[in-house]
Amino acid sequence: MKSGIAIAAVCAALSSTIIANSALADTSGKKIAFSNNYAGNSWRQAMLKSYEIVTKKAVADKVVAAADIFTTADKEVPTQAAQIQNLILQGYDAIVINASSPDALNGAVKQACDAGIVVVSFDGIVTEPCAYRVVVDFKAMGRQEVEEMAKFQPKGGNLLEIRGLAGTSIDEAIHAGILEGVKAHPEFKIVGSVTGDWDQTTAQKAVATVLPSLPDIVGVVDQGGDGYGAAQAFAAAGKPRPTIIMGNRQDELQWWKEQKAKDGYKTWSASIAPGVSTLAFWVAQQVLDGNKSIPHDLLVPYLAFTQDNFETELPNIPKGGVASHEYTQAEAVAAIKANMK
Amino acid sequence: MKGTLAGVLARPWIWSFIGALAVWLAAITFTGGTGAGGMLTAALSLAVFTVVVGVGQMFVITLGPGNVDLSLPANIGLASAVAMTVMAGDDQRIAFGLLAALACGAAIGTANYLLIWALRIPPIIATLSASFVIQSIDISYGRGLQIKPPPGFADFTNIQLFGIPLLAVLTVLFMIGAHVMLQRTIFGRSVLAIGQNMRAARLAGIAVNRVRFATYVLCGTLGGINGALLAGYFRGANVDIGNEYLLASIAVVVIGGTSVAGGKANIPGLFGAALFLVLLLTMLNTFGVSAGVRLLLTGLIIVAVITAAGGTKRER
Repeated sequence: MKSGIAIAAVCAALSSTIIANSALADTSGKKIAFSNNYAGNSWRQAMLKSYEIVTKKAVADKVVAAADIFTTADKEVPTQAAQIQNLILQGYDAIVINASSPDALNGAVKQACDAGIVVVSFDGIVTEPCAYRVVVDFKAMGRQEVEEMAKFQPKGGNLLEIRGLAGTSIDEAIHAGILEGVKAHPEFKIVGSVTGDWDQTTAQKAVATVLPSLPDIVGVVDQGGDGYGAAQAFAAAGKPRPTIIMGNRQDELQWWKEQKAKDGYKTWSASIAPGVSTLAFWVAQQVLDGNKSIPHDLLVPYLAFTQDNFETELPNIPKGGVASHEYTQAEAVAAIKANMK
Repeated sequence: MKGTLAGVLARPWIWSFIGALAVWLAAITFTGGTGAGGMLTAALSLAVFTVVVGVGQMFVITLGPGNVDLSLPANIGLASAVAMTVMAGDDQRIAFGLLAALACGAAIGTANYLLIWALRIPPIIATLSASFVIQSIDISYGRGLQIKPPPGFADFTNIQLFGIPLLAVLTVLFMIGAHVMLQRTIFGRSVLAIGQNMRAARLAGIAVNRVRFATYVLCGTLGGINGALLAGYFRGANVDIGNEYLLASIAVVVIGGTSVAGGKANIPGLFGAALFLVLLLTMLNTFGVSAGVRLLLTGLIIVAVITAAGGTKRER
């Protein structure tokens, strides 16, 4: 059993800066709500599952009094805004939120802050300054994709880029990273760009329509959730299989494993871990704990797998799901500390 | 058949094919001729799915003003999950999976019509609210996971005969069947009659409720089988697999020359319209325009084509 003292000890071991402010307040009486706006894909399901595992244990260990999950039925902003207002009335001390819009929820979020509630957003972040934002370093991920591509295709060549949901900050960040990577590796040239919406079906369709008009492609740089669809589109068009960067989905890694077994196919896989929801939870807990020095914008690393370790991870991912990583409190404190330098 | 060019041009469905040809030519002009055949093969493969739901939507829309099935995307999503779960990755169970998808779609069509008939809810509201329920069932049933098709079924959806996908050939046969059903059977003629004037149809002794019921079930069933086919072609069922078919199913009906006011249907135009939509995407992807511009152009071009097709009708 972890008590407050044990937690403080863990914090002390890992983080000397935080310990000065840590455990000022007891969070065992605090209630944290999770406001989520969608549950219909494998990433969101993994996100909820990771969150449940970690928070159940946190409640059992009496780190917090309650950690309830509220998911709205649609992706609509008004529904989630109303939900946040309900959570304020229900007297939660903190709200962890995966927001349906970066700015449209700011009014409701401000109301929560004014009521003394800690708001931590992740994945779908909110721009309201009083809230905390847990953001994955997507730009670095995009850049690294091209770095890895350069290892597998040292001679360079034509790349196809698959973009994510248009207008999102994530799509812009990964795209910017990829462009930076290509600048550093002039042997590569992006000859085509399609929109895959991080969705296998959309990606396969988009790649299928553009492939006939493209010259030979050596590699596909993408944003996760679209790699398997791209592979199918190349196969259906009878085109040679390029190096496709994967996005930690089970079917992508399974396909990679099959190709590797066949002819030693090499690639790289990276994505935002759905378990980042648990990091957001710990951030909320730490803020409630009295840690006022936590920066409002936290940058955390993405989750990547390489040729050597993806097969070890594969059995841990549910069939049709996505690889995740649940943060322990100690890891969360370390991740927060990394942002305080 | 009128032999003259004017006679051909007077047929409402010809415009969708002309549109499809135009965007295809624009795309291959841009590439200097490369990939012309590949584009057609890809377009045929992808158009199939829009045609299958388009036929269902067309029958519903033909029932007259206010009739539309907005539950198709949710229906397709749930049926894809049901079919893949029943198939369980086993080639021996493909037939059971297809039957399950058909049954799932038919059940949704039945539920839709029960809402419309028993509770007297307008079809737009009834099918839209049904789709929320269906999607929730799908999310809790599939847990948002991708469920893979059996290898035999997946391969089947990719079979090509001289560059022509087998599914496209089957779809043409299916369309001929649907055309005969619409123009030559009592059911089809009843649908048209109800769309022209429901009261007159009732007075003429047509079992209006029964025909409307059968039409919604037909549309639901086609949504169901489409879900199974999509899951096969795209290698996995998921909740969002049918999302684009809300707009697409209605767009192909309208572009294909069917009257939105009901009572006048057009099957051949569906195929041209579905090809047009896919080739439009192909063209814009080939031009390499950004996502925002692509959506804008898609909307504008669809409006333009519908206006052009509607304009010729008014002249007559």
